[in-house]
Amino acid sequence: MNNIDLTKPSRQSIKGLIFIFFQSIRQAVRMFWALVVVLVIQKNLMDNKLIIGISLLAILALLIVHSVLFYLNFFFYVEKGEFILKKGYLRKKILTIPIDRIQSVNTKQNLIQQMLDVVALEIDTAGTAGKELKIHALEKPFANALHDLLSKEKTVNISSEEQKGNTIIDTKEKLILKLTPIDLLKIGISQNHFRTGLIILAFGFQIFNQVQDVFEEKAEEYSNEFVLFMSNSNWALITFLLVFFLVISIGFSLFRTLLKYYDFKLLKKEETYLVESGLINKRNVIVPHNKIQELNWETGPIKRQFGIYNLVFKQAVSGQNAKAKLVDAPGCLTQHLELLKTDLFGEDKLLETKRFYSNNYYFRRLWILYGWLPMILATPFFYSEWLFYGGAFFWLLASAGYCYLILKKHYFKINNDQIRISSGAISHKWKQMELYKIQSVEFRQTIFQKRRSLASLSLMNASGSMTIPYIDEKMAKQIYDYLLYRTEISEKRWM
Amino acid sequence: MENFSNSIIIPEDLPEIETKTFDLLDKKYLKILFLWIIIFILFLTGAFTTFLILFDEKIPTSILIIIISILALIIAYSILITVFGFPKKGYLVREKDLSYQKGLIYYKLITVPFNRIQHVEVNQGILAKIFKLSSVKVYTAGGNASDLSIPGLPVEIAQNLKSFLSAKISEHE
Repeated sequence: MNNIDLTKPSRQSIKGLIFIFFQSIRQAVRMFWALVVVLVIQKNLMDNKLIIGISLLAILALLIVHSVLFYLNFFFYVEKGEFILKKGYLRKKILTIPIDRIQSVNTKQNLIQQMLDVVALEIDTAGTAGKELKIHALEKPFANALHDLLSKEKTVNISSEEQKGNTIIDTKEKLILKLTPIDLLKIGISQNHFRTGLIILAFGFQIFNQVQDVFEEKAEEYSNEFVLFMSNSNWALITFLLVFFLVISIGFSLFRTLLKYYDFKLLKKEETYLVESGLINKRNVIVPHNKIQELNWETGPIKRQFGIYNLVFKQAVSGQNAKAKLVDAPGCLTQHLELLKTDLFGEDKLLETKRFYSNNYYFRRLWILYGWLPMILATPFFYSEWLFYGGAFFWLLASAGYCYLILKKHYFKINNDQIRISSGAISHKWKQMELYKIQSVEFRQTIFQKRRSLASLSLMNASGSMTIPYIDEKMAKQIYDYLLYRTEISEKRWM
Repeated sequence: MENFSNSIIIPEDLPEIETKTFDLLDKKYLKILFLWIIIFILFLTGAFTTFLILFDEKIPTSILIIIISILALIIAYSILITVFGFPKKGYLVREKDLSYQKGLIYYKLITVPFNRIQHVEVNQGILAKIFKLSSVKVYTAGGNASDLSIPGLPVEIAQNLKSFLSAKISEHE
């Protein structure tokens, strides 16, 4: 396997055939499972075993043919500094990416791939074709060779561009953060259970709806029973349900945390970070420093008790798979956070600079939006019930508290090179970026803001945007002009 | 705010964006906007009448009046916003960046430095074609939010702006 020639068109590993087959089965199942359920339930169709057998065989044969054709028509190679990928049999597709446009090369392994001992290689670009550049099954040496080639050419490019006497190259991988099972437990407990609960609820409703379509009559019976049960139940039962719900949420969070962050490692090698994690789906992501547009970190009430932060490296995205390109490191302790911050932004000069808070008027707008508006909208439906007025009063108070928390956490710090924006309500989030990474700036002002000479600013970078709401109009204009000036004189590449 | 300059050393004579010096869009673009409003009104009344025809039971006149007055309010609002908002719309080309502003009630000003532009596009819709207008769209790496689009430019100006911007982009590559 030593003479791996990447300049010749090559196919994936032959084992890839099996992987593609499994994947197409999975796709087919995902598309048709609802149909299958309906067919199974309508018994009269099931009687004819022959038809079912034949159609299953036909589908299987089709999938095999598809896999083989897909495999045979899938080529990739490197030519004249460009990575070329050809695929498709009915509709042929040729994807060409200049190697210096490649942002990062990631390898991943899911369960099947681990069993087959192959790796998937994903190539990220700043363009929109990002998601398509994926090779599903490569032998490990081959993947490494390709990985090295694609990333090496990159580093050569960079070092020839920026030779500034930085001769000490530390090629050793340095471990920054490793999560132990206890850390995972802490992370799992400190997740946002409210959100997890909502996901479970939404998921449950979806299943319920699908089941309901099939068992329409029975469902009605059950739901009637449920309503009866609920109306007879007392507070104790409701509390029990709430606790039960919480337990499920926490369990689910723990499970998800374990799946995603099992054996999590954050390593540093030269000017890149390497992230490895996952129980079943192993991911292995490389984040070069210069690709990072924004550093986000967050802590919440429970997280603060454990002293941990959730940290996210935000890289340049192409819009579609924005979520996929977030690289996060949960369970960072303060020292890890400080280390990474100094690593990316240098010595923390923002520490002593003044905090600029959003104007108090921001509170009023938030309160109207979260407190008064929902209440007023609900009034026509419930105005006859006396309980509603108590609830409404409580709602207004609670939302006022919530909005106050938001206002107290909304501030920013700026110096000549960097900006840090703080936000949050229950949890506390910070975002920090280098000013030259700005792509464009936006100044917004409603007529209500104008009356009070306030304005909001949005700073867009290649990974998203940051907003500074409700600050003094004059200051907003000054920052606007300064940010543009700072970006326009910058000679540094934003990635 | 006087405190602001303590944390950040602002260079003297920092160029400010003068919102009054912005170039206005072509007057014909206002006609296009009006045509869109007319299409919108036709669509609304069409939907409303079909609803009335298809709806079997008789609707109380009080509710009818409410619905019609809401529709009329929406239409009046969009006409007023279009007329008085039009002079607010404008663009500004400076030495190193491109800006666009709009909005009467929700004012918005966005600026893209030339050294962050990825590529430039000239587009022409069906209505714009009749009035010989084009729009220039500037793409950055920041995704939809940071892209900038200037509508209602005469075809020639749009083309000139595009080639000017393209030249600026290649300067920075």
